[in-house]
Amino acid sequence: MLSRLVFVSANALKGSGHFGPGLVQASRSLQTSSQSLAPVPPLPEKGGKTRHGIIPEELFQLLYPKTGVTGPYMLGTGLLVYMLSKEIYVINHETFVAASIGAVLIYGIKKFGPDVAAFADKLNEEKVSKAQEVKDLAMTNLTQAIEDEKKEQWRVEGRSMLFDAKRNNVAMILETNYRERLHMVTNEVKRRLDYQIALQDLHRRMEQEHMVNWVEKSVIGSITPQQEKQSIAKCITDLKALAKTAQATA
Amino acid sequence: MASFFDQFMSPTLMGIPLMALAFVLPWLMFPNPAPRWINSRFLTLQSWFINRFTSQLLMPINVGGHNWALVLASLMIFLISLNMLGLLPYTFTPTTQLSLNMGLAMPLWLATVLIGLRNQPTAALGHLLPEGTPVPLIPVLIIIETISLFIRPLALGVRLTANLTAGHLLMQLIATAAFVLLPLMPTVAIVTSVVLLLLTILEVAVAMIQAYVFVLLMSLYLQENV
Repeated sequence: MLSRLVFVSANALKGSGHFGPGLVQASRSLQTSSQSLAPVPPLPEKGGKTRHGIIPEELFQLLYPKTGVTGPYMLGTGLLVYMLSKEIYVINHETFVAASIGAVLIYGIKKFGPDVAAFADKLNEEKVSKAQEVKDLAMTNLTQAIEDEKKEQWRVEGRSMLFDAKRNNVAMILETNYRERLHMVTNEVKRRLDYQIALQDLHRRMEQEHMVNWVEKSVIGSITPQQEKQSIAKCITDLKALAKTAQATA
Repeated sequence: MASFFDQFMSPTLMGIPLMALAFVLPWLMFPNPAPRWINSRFLTLQSWFINRFTSQLLMPINVGGHNWALVLASLMIFLISLNMLGLLPYTFTPTTQLSLNMGLAMPLWLATVLIGLRNQPTAALGHLLPEGTPVPLIPVLIIIETISLFIRPLALGVRLTANLTAGHLLMQLIATAAFVLLPLMPTVAIVTSVVLLLLTILEVAVAMIQAYVFVLLMSLYLQENV
């Protein structure tokens, strides 16, 4: 892990500081491969895999073909024992200090490691989700716009039917209007003809009445008093005869 | 004859002084943000911490003092990384050297004082007399406040040095005691080891706290004068 740290930070130093770009340029002039800088290749999501938190997994993979699973452990143990026996590393009070610091560090990492990692992931996740929200909102807006557009197109199709209906409507109104006017004209004509008829009727009636009155007047004038007496006596004798017949039958 | 103070000697390798290396190497622990939108977990946490810390620190200071944001934040990162790395075995802690701490404290303190005297001399001098002092005490109090003002850089530097040196020394002593007692009285050695463990936890806390206190007091002095 520490070696990885050196590589990572060397890379970081290369890109940082005042001489950063210069270094990159210098190294680029020596490169002869046709690598392009865009699009930027994606970073790996997780760091390198490590065994026991410190030793990179690559060491185990490296030694596996020759020494199997226990190879690196044997190497570690051997190195440690060699250094102890040859007193390259002397056990002194610093060993105790190292042990206690190691214990504190390992305890801290084991206990708070996952929480801290989750927190870092949450920070990144929030960043991504904010952008995702904007994107999703834009997507929903656009799909909504598509739906609305489709509806508008459907409406446009229906508009011809609307025009037909309106045309029918107008035609009906015109027809109605025409019929009304026709009706009105008929009524007016009928009224005038009725008037003429009434006038003629009146004329004829008046003539008739006048004639009847004249005839009556002349007849009444022509009746002399003698005729009147005679007719009255006749009526009386007729009545008496009738009365007799009526008595006879009853 | 190895003494307990060997850990505080300036590190050299075959005559080449390594002091510069000692306080430049922690820079490697703080990578630059990559030109990416989402960074690694470490970088996310680092930038979160620095942002949070700086905003907290600069909250009580008014806008004129915000020029000091970079200085204070980088000072904090520097001190905290030096202190924490010094807790590892066989390492040299530069902040145990009075020269380093005074070299940090004195110029920064002097800068705050000069800024205060230049921009608002009346207010800066007014800090020498607290409010509500009885009139007969004024001359004495001014002298006392002046002394306290001039002692500030000394206090800053010596506080950091003394805390870290004492902590390291104590760890060495108790570890030596445990080491020596191990063949003689193993149980006592175990008790001593437990004490050492507790002390280590304390040292971790002290390392972080002392760095923070240094920077906090500096921001306080800035706040007075800006």
